Amino acid sequence: MTGMAKTRIKTRHTLAKAGVITGLVIGGLFAGLPIVWMLSTSFKSNGDVFQNPPNLITDTFSLDAYLEILGNGEQLRFFLNSYIVAFAVTILTLLVALLAGYAFSRFRFPFQRTINAVIVSVQVVPPITLVVPYFGLVVALGLYNTYPGLILTHMVFTLPYAIIMITAYLNTLPRELDESVKIDGGTSWTALWRVLVPISVPGLIAVGVYTFMISWNEYLFALTLTRTNDMRTVPIGIQLLMGQHSYEWNQMMAMSILGSIPVLLLFLLFQRRFIGGLTAGAVKA
Amino acid sequence: MTSANVDPAAAPLTAASAGGSASGRRHAGLTRRLVPYGYLSPTMLLLTVLMVVPIVMVIGYSFRDNVIVNKNPVFAGLVNYAKVLTDADFLAALQNTAVFISVSTAAHLVLGLTFAMMLNTKLLGGITKAVFRIVYILPWLFTIAVIAVIWRLLLDPAGVVNYVLQTLGLIQDGVSWLGEPGTALWAVTFANIWSGYPFFMISLLAALQGISADLYEAAAVDGTNWLQRFVHVTLPQLRPVIISMAVLDLIWTSQQFALIWMMTGGGPLNSTEMLSTYTYKQAFSEYEFATASAAAVIVLLLTAALAFFYVRQQREQ
Amino acid sequence: MAVRATRWKRLMSAAAVAATLALTAACGSGGSSGSDGAAAGGPVTLEFAQWWGAELPAGEFDKIISDFTAQNPNITVKLLSAPYASTKQQLVTSAASQTLPDVVGLDGAWVNDFAKQGAITDLSTLMTEANYDPSQLASQVQVADKTYMIPVVNFVYPLFVNKDLLAKAGVTSVPTTRTQFLDAAKKISAIGGDVKGWALPLDSAVPNGVQNDVMSWLWASGGSMLQDGKPNLSSAPVKSAVEFVKNLNDAGVIAPGSLTMKEQDKVEKFTNGQVGMMIDSLAHINLIKKNKPDLNFEVAALPAEDGYTGERGIPYASWGIGISDSTEHKAEAFKFVQYLLGKDVNAKLSTIANGFPGNKNAAPDLNAGDPRFKTAFDIYQQGYPANEFVGLPKSEDLMRRFNEQLQLVLTGGASVDDALATTQQSWSAVIG
Repeated sequence: MTGMAKTRIKTRHTLAKAGVITGLVIGGLFAGLPIVWMLSTSFKSNGDVFQNPPNLITDTFSLDAYLEILGNGEQLRFFLNSYIVAFAVTILTLLVALLAGYAFSRFRFPFQRTINAVIVSVQVVPPITLVVPYFGLVVALGLYNTYPGLILTHMVFTLPYAIIMITAYLNTLPRELDESVKIDGGTSWTALWRVLVPISVPGLIAVGVYTFMISWNEYLFALTLTRTNDMRTVPIGIQLLMGQHSYEWNQMMAMSILGSIPVLLLFLLFQRRFIGGLTAGAVKA
Repeated sequence: MTSANVDPAAAPLTAASAGGSASGRRHAGLTRRLVPYGYLSPTMLLLTVLMVVPIVMVIGYSFRDNVIVNKNPVFAGLVNYAKVLTDADFLAALQNTAVFISVSTAAHLVLGLTFAMMLNTKLLGGITKAVFRIVYILPWLFTIAVIAVIWRLLLDPAGVVNYVLQTLGLIQDGVSWLGEPGTALWAVTFANIWSGYPFFMISLLAALQGISADLYEAAAVDGTNWLQRFVHVTLPQLRPVIISMAVLDLIWTSQQFALIWMMTGGGPLNSTEMLSTYTYKQAFSEYEFATASAAAVIVLLLTAALAFFYVRQQREQ
Repeated sequence: MAVRATRWKRLMSAAAVAATLALTAACGSGGSSGSDGAAAGGPVTLEFAQWWGAELPAGEFDKIISDFTAQNPNITVKLLSAPYASTKQQLVTSAASQTLPDVVGLDGAWVNDFAKQGAITDLSTLMTEANYDPSQLASQVQVADKTYMIPVVNFVYPLFVNKDLLAKAGVTSVPTTRTQFLDAAKKISAIGGDVKGWALPLDSAVPNGVQNDVMSWLWASGGSMLQDGKPNLSSAPVKSAVEFVKNLNDAGVIAPGSLTMKEQDKVEKFTNGQVGMMIDSLAHINLIKKNKPDLNFEVAALPAEDGYTGERGIPYASWGIGISDSTEHKAEAFKFVQYLLGKDVNAKLSTIANGFPGNKNAAPDLNAGDPRFKTAFDIYQQGYPANEFVGLPKSEDLMRRFNEQLQLVLTGGASVDDALATTQQSWSAVIG
């Protein structure tokens, strides 16, 4: 009797395991196959991209597209610019959002809800409708075709989410922590930096990775607010490979693959903390 | 930016040191009340200058005639709004957008939750799960232009998707997924689902890991099955995250422009026309910036309703 | 939110006023579009925004530009390149803030709008000031009798045919009439597999398929979509051209997916032998040869209505050039325009781009390149360049409206008559 029950549990366990693995593989195919095709296209010659019937690997397999991009100073500059902008955006967003999140989490003040509502609602404006006035504003501020112009613009789009997440994260931390600093004669400023920031690192990393992704992949403003190629980022570089009449398929795909590697590395590096960080923030989000 | 950060630092210090006399105390109270604003000042400065101002300018455009093109536009009242609201294309765009964002969000949620639950299972080893975790976030890593192009390539009448379906005998002739009014909206939505679920998945995975094991143990003691545990423990615990994510996703998806523009341009026959592509055509093809702005303001009002809902739900937490 | 927002509103309107003031100040101060060296005679940097460099063999365009600086040591030209798909949006946006680059590459379809917006300057005046003789120009794009754009290189759109597919289908000669074309297209489609006779790109993001692949049928038979500058879409020639396209569609000879097909897809499908015939820019010869060196194709005049004996209009597109109205260096900018249109430079540029020169006296080297280039030049000389969308206001919008109606016709949602009547009405609202 007990033996049979055990076998049944074991069978059920094996069945469940097989089910989950099947599910994971199907999902993995859904997620990964388009990427496999992207990878395969990056190794083809442009003439073979539309080959019929389609082939994963063609006779023209080569790494030329990658060499072309890595050997081209202008293309490498796009990568450099993307790093500069995305890192600056990430660090500044974290800093500014941390201060704002701290205010929302630890203080009660007039207009708190209104300000919170405004911060949430600004992200609902479709960016495409803002392009014309925004461009005029950036030119008037002397920020056209500069890193600060791009960085501040990306921050406008990354800040609201970052503030929401950091506020939620700080809310999960007990208030007694910063109260104890104040009892010892410290200020709210010291409480933030000495106590709250060190234990918020996972949450900050989570928000940081997300911010980095948004900035790295942003296209519309990165194009509109720059004039010369020495200020432009990877998404623009990819779009420059789409000519008036034809696409440089293999180079476009190679550049996308190369462009995704840093983000992937970032994710690999931080994935445990990233997930941990979101957990703490998300539970009470 | 750096100078703005100094202010909140200075404020509490002054408050602490000037706590002596009566006037000093009043001063200290005032300073203390200003502290949170000090912390918020960089955010408010940035958002006011770079977000609120352009939005106000767009609102201004929407009440004028022939802005941008004409150097001296005149006040036009609600003419532009009337024009947009009676435009059949706008109403079609509104409907398509509603379908696009609700289906996308629902699918993001279902896929995100399913994948997150599978990745959270105790049945598999850590390395297996880590590998799948990487595979599952891949669609998130690519810029939208490339996502649009790769899906056009895959969905081409002579492309891979048709080839596979034909080889499997599921269809006879190549289907023009993006070229048929009946399938285009679904094809675009599918591409959007593919590119957008990882963020949902990651957030839900994080939330799942945050659910206390005690809750499941208690439920197991009561002799519940898997489905009951899912309905009575998992879902209620995930509810706040699901609602926040859903609202954010509705907002983000409604802004999706590049994907649709590059995949179908709103066609065929308006079948994938969205509010974002409609606004773009008004502005950059018809040079009707005033009508484009009016359409933008209407979108703003519609999405502000979503934001309002979001803030209220945030407050309930 | 609305109730609580009164204070915010006040704050926001104050901010808006401040921003408007700042903007006005910035515009007032000239918006010199970043050029340095304002004093006359001093060194000047001209910014030239275009998408041409990317379409030419690597380094060739830079060489032409550096030759200019060698001849004019005090003028430096800085090339700004942009993705073609975003060029127009970029120009509209920067024109709105008076920061248009000094010299801009233009498409004929944009000119009217930019001229009306006051973004690009009247070149007629500059020509007079520089004592330039416009009679050497092959064409000029004018708005209200003033020139705003000069085509530097023109690209004609002949019929491309895949000779191997034609032979395989048993078609012995390249079609010259619509009936022959329909017949050839049917035979090619009968080969089977995924091969079709013709490709029709009607994607509405860039609706110029209407110009290149639809209206071209009309122009090839000497027809016109306008009469005295007003739309004339209900005329018999327009109707017969659209009906012909519908017949091709009904016969099932058009490659699938045409309603969202882009120009790039059309060329890819022809290059891969999935489409036997297409109407396409001569500029694509290099591309096709690069991607499929062994493709056996030739170019020919567009088929005309049966029995038509008059001159055939051949559609064209241009790399046009214009000068920003807000630049402080109009004279220097025009000097650069003159250089690009000079007899020798223009000939060289046309040769490497596989286009025809904007200067009548420039002689492209017809024998240096592909023999098809020579064929196309003969077709061009026997006919006349035709593109009625050039210089029209909101021409992209006109194409899109036509496109929408054509899509209705092809999907059975409207009759040809109704579609043309509707388009006639909406066009009249714009140019009537």
